[in-house]
Amino acid sequence: MNIIDSNVLSPWPQPAVCPVAREVADGNGLPLTHKIITNHIVTNHAAGLRQSLTPHHFALTMADHGDDRTATGILARTALPIAALHEIHAGEPGDVSNSAAFALLMAERARMAMEKAGREGAGAIFWVRENGDIRRHGYLYPPGVAELSIDPAGIIYIDAPDTLAALRAAADAARCSALGAVIIELSGQRPKGFDFTATRRLSLSAQKSGVPIFCLRHNAGLPQNQPSAAYSRWQVTSAPSCAMEAKAPGHPVFAVNLLRYRGGHAGFSAHLEWNRDERAFFETPDIGAVSALPSIGADRKDMRQRA
Amino acid sequence: MLAAVDRQAADLGLAAGMKLADARALVPELLVFDYDPLADAALLDRLAEMCLRYTPMVSAVPPGALLLDISGCTHFYGSDAALAEKMLAENIEDRLDGAGYSASWAIAGTPDAALALARHGLREGAERQLPVSALGMDAKTHRALERTGLYHIGDLAVRPRAGLAVRFGAAINLRLDRILGIEDRPINPLRLLGNVTAERRFADPVTQVDFITNCLEELFAEAAIMLQERGQGARIIRMLLFRCDGKMARLGIETGAPTRDRALFARLLKERIAALDDPLNPGFGYDLIRLTIAASEALGAQQYMLEDAEKRGDTQGDQAALIGQLSVRLGRGQIRQFRPADSHIPEQALLALPALDAPPPALLDKWPAPKPGEPPLRPLHLFDPPQRIAVIAEVPDGPPYRFTWRRRLHQILRYEGPERIAPEWWQRKDGQQAGKGGLTRDYYRVEDMRGRRYWLFRHGLYGREKRSPNWYIHGLFA
Repeated sequence: MNIIDSNVLSPWPQPAVCPVAREVADGNGLPLTHKIITNHIVTNHAAGLRQSLTPHHFALTMADHGDDRTATGILARTALPIAALHEIHAGEPGDVSNSAAFALLMAERARMAMEKAGREGAGAIFWVRENGDIRRHGYLYPPGVAELSIDPAGIIYIDAPDTLAALRAAADAARCSALGAVIIELSGQRPKGFDFTATRRLSLSAQKSGVPIFCLRHNAGLPQNQPSAAYSRWQVTSAPSCAMEAKAPGHPVFAVNLLRYRGGHAGFSAHLEWNRDERAFFETPDIGAVSALPSIGADRKDMRQRA
Repeated sequence: MLAAVDRQAADLGLAAGMKLADARALVPELLVFDYDPLADAALLDRLAEMCLRYTPMVSAVPPGALLLDISGCTHFYGSDAALAEKMLAENIEDRLDGAGYSASWAIAGTPDAALALARHGLREGAERQLPVSALGMDAKTHRALERTGLYHIGDLAVRPRAGLAVRFGAAINLRLDRILGIEDRPINPLRLLGNVTAERRFADPVTQVDFITNCLEELFAEAAIMLQERGQGARIIRMLLFRCDGKMARLGIETGAPTRDRALFARLLKERIAALDDPLNPGFGYDLIRLTIAASEALGAQQYMLEDAEKRGDTQGDQAALIGQLSVRLGRGQIRQFRPADSHIPEQALLALPALDAPPPALLDKWPAPKPGEPPLRPLHLFDPPQRIAVIAEVPDGPPYRFTWRRRLHQILRYEGPERIAPEWWQRKDGQQAGKGGLTRDYYRVEDMRGRRYWLFRHGLYGREKRSPNWYIHGLFA
């Protein structure tokens, strides 16, 4: 796995922080690095264009948050088009729940952006899944969804008998502009019928209907080996949470790695925590794999105290 | 006891109601099958369905009769009403004969008269020759009537009614009237007629599936016009395709929202035909196709969008159409929506119901809001049933220390718990007594060294409920 500590190495050259006033003051502007998105304005320096693209994009965290040195700040500027296909890979077979949650939360962020942009009553999230996975990965548990501040009543869950049926259902759903988002969950290295053409088709339907599609992949092998027309590709692994009182597990933390990003440079990685109250992601310090020995000792002491 | 005998057996002197031993004594090589009244009823229903091609009002009268209300249904068989009726009846007889059934029929003004005539092999007008047992009263009454010298319905018909009612009860007059055609009785048809029905008959049976689907679409368009007059849209559409050899294909379509849209219907129909287990086999061809709107709901007139039609599409409608389409293709149970259920047992706290049945969002029960400040207390994925794990804990009733799941060892770094969830003892027999209410679960939220979060529980309180409780993994957190 390829996780770069974001505090040490910022993946992007220093980008323009761009309230409009400052950009105007800069005059010629800065060389193009990537599209930058802040409060409702996207500046594209090389072309000298300024488009108001925000209604068509979403970001994983709040737009006016942090600066470019922090992951949260970069994340706020990583504009993800709503009408596109995004791919989320589970880092390891054990990270299924984590990546599923990440996809769901991304879908929720996209839906929030759609609502903000005035698309009334952004519809339900259609979750398409193959039948066979349920035994292995368990089924989606709505009370747990509600705990992430997503209303389970807004999720419609589709069990398809095989990959082809799942793809067909997802393609049909993607053409329906009334939906909030489509999540399609596929497992295995080469799901039958899921090739570059299929991703291209999904991506085109997303562009046409304006509904974001999230493709969730488990056990897909190396993401680099999978051709895809996705706009962005994320690898999600579970990461230790920031402990609550008495060493209780805290809010969900995701170690994400942006492997591909058509709007700019990829290679961004960070530990993100879902903040339920703000309904956005925030960066957390990388706790990393805590070495086992001392904490076990501490744990034992703790346990004895409790017992 | 013999329940029924075939013609050959009847010729040998056997009859229904005989003891099996007696029958065997008469005919030692007798073939005997178990009496299965349900299968008989099912067969009769199938035959009744076959007769739906003649009239929509068909009723099965167990054990072995069919009633068809053919009023106004005979014009296909000629202009002369009486002759046409006869031709229709003979047509049915031929068809049943072709399928291997022998039938006797009668046409009469009332269902009871027709039944009685057919049972006794008589034709219309011969009601007075029927024996009194055709009244269908109990055996005692029949015997009493015969003892008084009244053997035929004709004998009864000329008697003063008041005397009969005094002697045999008021019911006898009613039955007499029904047999004599003085009083009618409604029949109970096999299938309640839908509000709206459209059908098409073909002089030559059609065999091409494309043509059939086209025809169904046209029928739906006809039905849609009728629906529009009533301000309604179709929710459940049933289609019957009668093959000329008597077989029948049945198709049903359920839509997510009331509709009159022909294009939508065409799409759903295509899905439905594609989802059939055995594809539509026209064989020698269909000669009658009928489409019925079995359920409809109010749907106001819609205005066509002249501009921005794509942008301002009816979002609710689109989503319902999609749900309907997927439900037709994958089965209605595969497209589900979650609703909270009132239970504190984790795996019973939800209902997954078909999205087609979901009430509008405003009527849905609300999911409980999470507690502010707390991390998620319920997992995102749940295993049902929970999976057994091997756990090492420092003390038997303490938190887990490490566990093995799917042949992997997980070292627990953080935990919270236990959250104690009591069993539903009131569901069990003698559950209120100690030890019989089921096992308590102690849930722990744990996180291992890799940062994965699990939901584990110990099944049973150590020492009190179980000597060495098992551990299970019940869910995975994000």
